[in-house]
Amino acid sequence: MALVNPNFAEEMERFGADAALECFNCGTCAAICPLIYEHFPRKMIRYLQLGAKDRIMENASELWRCLHCGLCTQTCPREADPGEIILGLKRFAVANWRRS
Amino acid sequence: MYSPRDMIDIIAANVRKTRNPFGMPKFLCNRWWQDASMPAEGDALLFTGLMYQFVPYIEKSTRYLEQFEDTPWADYVRYAKYVPNYLAGMGLALLTPAKEKKRFNAILQNITKILAKSKVDFFYRSELDEYSGILLYDLGDQESFVRHAEFVAAKLKRAGVKTLITVDPHTTYALKVLYPKYTGQSFEVKTYFELVNFTSNNGYKRVTLHDPCFYGRYLELSDVPTKVLANLGIECVPVRNSGLFTSCCGGPAESISPKLSKEVLHRRTEELQSAGAPIIAMCPICLGHLEKSGAQVEDLSSLIARCAA
Repeated sequence: MALVNPNFAEEMERFGADAALECFNCGTCAAICPLIYEHFPRKMIRYLQLGAKDRIMENASELWRCLHCGLCTQTCPREADPGEIILGLKRFAVANWRRS
Repeated sequence: MYSPRDMIDIIAANVRKTRNPFGMPKFLCNRWWQDASMPAEGDALLFTGLMYQFVPYIEKSTRYLEQFEDTPWADYVRYAKYVPNYLAGMGLALLTPAKEKKRFNAILQNITKILAKSKVDFFYRSELDEYSGILLYDLGDQESFVRHAEFVAAKLKRAGVKTLITVDPHTTYALKVLYPKYTGQSFEVKTYFELVNFTSNNGYKRVTLHDPCFYGRYLELSDVPTKVLANLGIECVPVRNSGLFTSCCGGPAESISPKLSKEVLHRRTEELQSAGAPIIAMCPICLGHLEKSGAQVEDLSSLIARCAA
């Protein structure tokens, strides 16, 4: 069971992901992503919106599959900047590893 | 897939100690300028960011990574951080074929010929030419990136540099967008192909231009090389995904997952080859990676330099 934290999206702003709540999970990013891999990056963005930190850290390695190519950001209908969200989550994961 | 945490720790430690991701002394990897005649003073500094110089080492190290990915040996990568940086870097430098280093050095020498032919007032000083730190940024190690970027920006400011000529999309993006944002230091940044100022008719007639993500999408510069080539009598054949919607070659994933990187590479190569004209790359990472597919690929600077001859 994942613990939900509604304030997490705000916490993520200091890691550069400040538009995550704009996302309405349409899946355009997952469809255009060259990885074509299990709803990436949509699933990670959903975890962020819910504040499911444990899920993010359990699956953190998956974040580095992202090529930072920017196609998701280019095509996002909500201007939620999925590419920057993934980069922000990488920064969050690195900060957590360094603290532990 | 390799552990991102281990790879980031190794790369960050190398950049911290040697100012480059491979842990090798700069004099070993940045030697191209010794065979080029360039002024040491001028209007704009040619800033290579060492990316073209790194490609032979990237190719060599990813060949090893490919062998051990998803095997029990992959876990031993973490112990690489206990090997002294200079020792690992020197080892890699010795294992990398001189022929490959020479080939990528020639690309930079071609760029100086293009700038000279275009009558650009530029200069080069190897002590000012540093790695931008872009890989740390892409990997999410923001703290290490900012620390390194501040070092590079301060060095350039101390030398009184105001204008930079860049040669690759990653360094261009770092200096143009990230440095002002994260270090507070701004420079006027131009890519070498924005400065091409001559016409000719010596090259291919038609080429397939692979837009790198950073020129195509992040910096929106795709129309510039197309116009430069048109002035040289070369037509760019339309590619299914280009400009703002260009497809990644897969190169950025090489250090974490060579397997994934190859999957993406094959899809992009098919798109480029279906256009039916020689493939031209304008990013060192794309060039090195696209060549792995077996396709014939040439750097944009080599094509322009041939026209300049």
